[in-house]
Amino acid sequence: MKKRLSQIISTLLLGTLLVTGCSSEGSAPATSTQTATPSNETSAPAVSKVQDIKDGINLATDLSKLPEAAAKRTDTFIAGLTEPGGVFNPFFYHNGYDGNVSSAIFESLVDVDATGKPVPKLAAKWDVSPDQLTYTFHLRPNLKFSDGSPLTAEDVAFTLTILHDKTYDGETDIFVASIKGGREYKEGKANTIEGIKVIDPQTIQITTEKVNAKSLVLLGGQVLSKAYYGKEYKPGNLEYLRTLHGKPLGAGPYKFEAYIPGQEVRYLANEHYYAGKPQVEHFIYKTTEGDALQFIQTGEMDYNSFTVNSDNIEQLQELGYVNINLYTSSAYSYIKFNHSKPFFKDKRVRQAFIYGLDRQKILDLTYQGYAQVANVPISPVSWAYTEDVNPYAYNPEKAKQLLDEAGWKPGADGIREKDGQKLIVHYYTTKGKLGEVLIPIAKENYKELGIQFEAEMMDYNAVLARTEKGDHDLASFSTTMLIDPDDGVDAFSTKKGKSGFTGTNGYSNAKVDELLEAGLSTLDIEKRKAIYKDLYKELSDDPPYIFLGYRKILSAHNGKIKGLEPNPFTGISTSLPGIKIE
Amino acid sequence: MTSYFLKRIFYMALTLFGASILIFFLYALTPGDFVDTSPKLTAERKLELKAMYGLDKPVVERYFIWMKNALQGDFGYSLQYQQPVMSLLNDYIWNSFLLAITSTFFTWLIAISIGVLSAARQHSWFDALVTIGVFAAMSLPVFFVGLLFIKLFAVDAKLFPAGGMMTIGSKETGLAYAWDVVQHMFLPVTVLTLLSVGTLTRYFRTNMLEVIQQDFVRTARAKGLKEKVVLHKHALRNALLPAITLLGFELPALFGGAIITEKIFNWPGVGQLYMQAFSVRDYPLLMGFTMFLAILTVIGNLSADLLYRVADPRVRLK
Repeated sequence: MKKRLSQIISTLLLGTLLVTGCSSEGSAPATSTQTATPSNETSAPAVSKVQDIKDGINLATDLSKLPEAAAKRTDTFIAGLTEPGGVFNPFFYHNGYDGNVSSAIFESLVDVDATGKPVPKLAAKWDVSPDQLTYTFHLRPNLKFSDGSPLTAEDVAFTLTILHDKTYDGETDIFVASIKGGREYKEGKANTIEGIKVIDPQTIQITTEKVNAKSLVLLGGQVLSKAYYGKEYKPGNLEYLRTLHGKPLGAGPYKFEAYIPGQEVRYLANEHYYAGKPQVEHFIYKTTEGDALQFIQTGEMDYNSFTVNSDNIEQLQELGYVNINLYTSSAYSYIKFNHSKPFFKDKRVRQAFIYGLDRQKILDLTYQGYAQVANVPISPVSWAYTEDVNPYAYNPEKAKQLLDEAGWKPGADGIREKDGQKLIVHYYTTKGKLGEVLIPIAKENYKELGIQFEAEMMDYNAVLARTEKGDHDLASFSTTMLIDPDDGVDAFSTKKGKSGFTGTNGYSNAKVDELLEAGLSTLDIEKRKAIYKDLYKELSDDPPYIFLGYRKILSAHNGKIKGLEPNPFTGISTSLPGIKIE
Repeated sequence: MTSYFLKRIFYMALTLFGASILIFFLYALTPGDFVDTSPKLTAERKLELKAMYGLDKPVVERYFIWMKNALQGDFGYSLQYQQPVMSLLNDYIWNSFLLAITSTFFTWLIAISIGVLSAARQHSWFDALVTIGVFAAMSLPVFFVGLLFIKLFAVDAKLFPAGGMMTIGSKETGLAYAWDVVQHMFLPVTVLTLLSVGTLTRYFRTNMLEVIQQDFVRTARAKGLKEKVVLHKHALRNALLPAITLLGFELPALFGGAIITEKIFNWPGVGQLYMQAFSVRDYPLLMGFTMFLAILTVIGNLSADLLYRVADPRVRLK
């Protein structure tokens, strides 16, 4: 002990000396979290060392190193989660972390597997009518909420009904499913929704007006208890629900025990869970800021996710007692063109912008190999992914040729011009690693082509606001987690392109519109696969965006925990019922 | 006294009114609002939600709505947390306060003691050492010291918990809970104290030095009073007078939270809440909290002035 203390003191003194030299009163708060994982720019050689880590779960090498705190814990699983906010209702939260909290408490009729395909949960099975408009869900027998009350088709009907209420302010857009009579209900012209029919306590039939491949998962969502959430419901008034956001009741693997703001959410195993009571009695989401590696190191926490980079992987590997999970995210990042700008009307110019940008280099420098170049608007983890498109490998010569063809000729100062206009583009991005790496590379790449690239970094909301107004040429974004392939492409339709998320500011392609419609108009996954393949080909030829990349997600958990398999669509929530602590 | 007080209250109200305008318009004119930040919503849905939250109304009208409610003590519902702003702040603010008041206490205690000692022994080796130490402490970035302390004392030596406010999953109550919190407070309080003690020490040292050179101290010494009495009774009292103003200014900081420290130590304080609210443009929460700080600043200012009048007869005469 004594030796340790003296070691500490000497390190401290050394540290003090080192830092006093370079005082930084103004080191902004923003840097504080990044610094938690010391800078990684300098560790290039480490990349090769950790490349041997594979996608999927890399098992712990030495469980004997497990810290005492973690070794002692036999009936509690503790996972880290950034700042949940207290709205524990799957349809009302506005903070994704609250979604994580809710997904342990609420179970859905239909869930998705690791490739995004629907799988049965509370619904044992479902039938879709031949015209693909009517869905009949058959619930499993004897379903119960965690308080022991029965879960029936009435509860499903109630859940779908309140999503149609005109005061509903959550982020679930039930109207995507076009349930018959839904609009009328919202507008107050009907007291019930015509298309929702409870056949018997175990069967519910939902009639929709339009075929939509996304309807199944949307209709088969999580279920709220009518007895609990519907007590005071009157159409046009959901205000009362707010008081229940902090006291959730569902049919998920765990039931809510307590929420301590800013600290943790506690759960107990639900003995009424349809698949049997989970073996681990207690589950806790501990609020952490960022990576919080120290909690894994002290054994206070079993699971957390980390920024993917070789430093973090190396540190985790050194611990020895954690299983390291690495998988590709279901989101993709992109640079959007402003299609209302005259120079982007010509697809050859857009193609040139893709050929002329060294995306591989940008991703390699940003993510140290833990990302891959994107050429289609869907992640490789999805069933709809294909590589059968133009890979747009970095090729400045090809880019120059395309620009020449499009009539953009180098001017006296080396900058291309056409009809008296110079090819000067303004690019907006948010502060962060990707932007920091991308800007200098893009500047150089485009300069070589004769394009003047002006970049500006700003806060996320500012980028959003400016792009919505169309006050940009190029801007960078990343999608959220995408479950259905349509989620990744719906902004490209002529109808939605002007609105949608950030939109395209005017991308329009009749063939794309047609394929987008087609992609949603069948529930047959094999047919959809073929349609999306065609769509991706068309998008590759007439690009709405510069697709950038799919990054990897890194998480780690204590090796004693068995059965935990985080997945790109649902995170750890699907594994929760089945985990064991050895 | 009453007329002075009334006048001050009037100016306070005026200041707060000005502050409310500034706060409201600064936030309202920042690009993007709560609905815009959500990537999942369609354009129609966004319009509907904006109407529901009243974000579609003209800015000036929104200001008056906000003001009217605020005057009745209603700062609205946080958009993100779906809870009244006040009850939400109540969940977090006391945690920040606890951390801040403890570290302020130690900061002042240490700063006054060191300041007095080093002033009394100006140019001694002790004084030199303190000066160096003070500069070192002042120039250290908080995240560095915080992370270093976590690494050394929590992860390696396992002397203290690595962060948070209580042991994860702990169900302790009463004294056992208090002890748990004290243990969790140790590192963040140490870091906060260490980093803020520097400025204050320098302040007191200078003040003391100034007072010591004044005539009344010389007189006291000439009277043959013991050096201890001269320092602690005559000099220190006078050197502390300006500190009252300083203390008044610290009031908002006590509730404002030390954002970085809270972040590093995972302390469930209001700083984190504030940062998150900012990133999603949760205006009711942001405005409510900023307004709260503005009110505290004004109150702190007023109480400092009043206290000063009590403590220093010269001010009263004017």
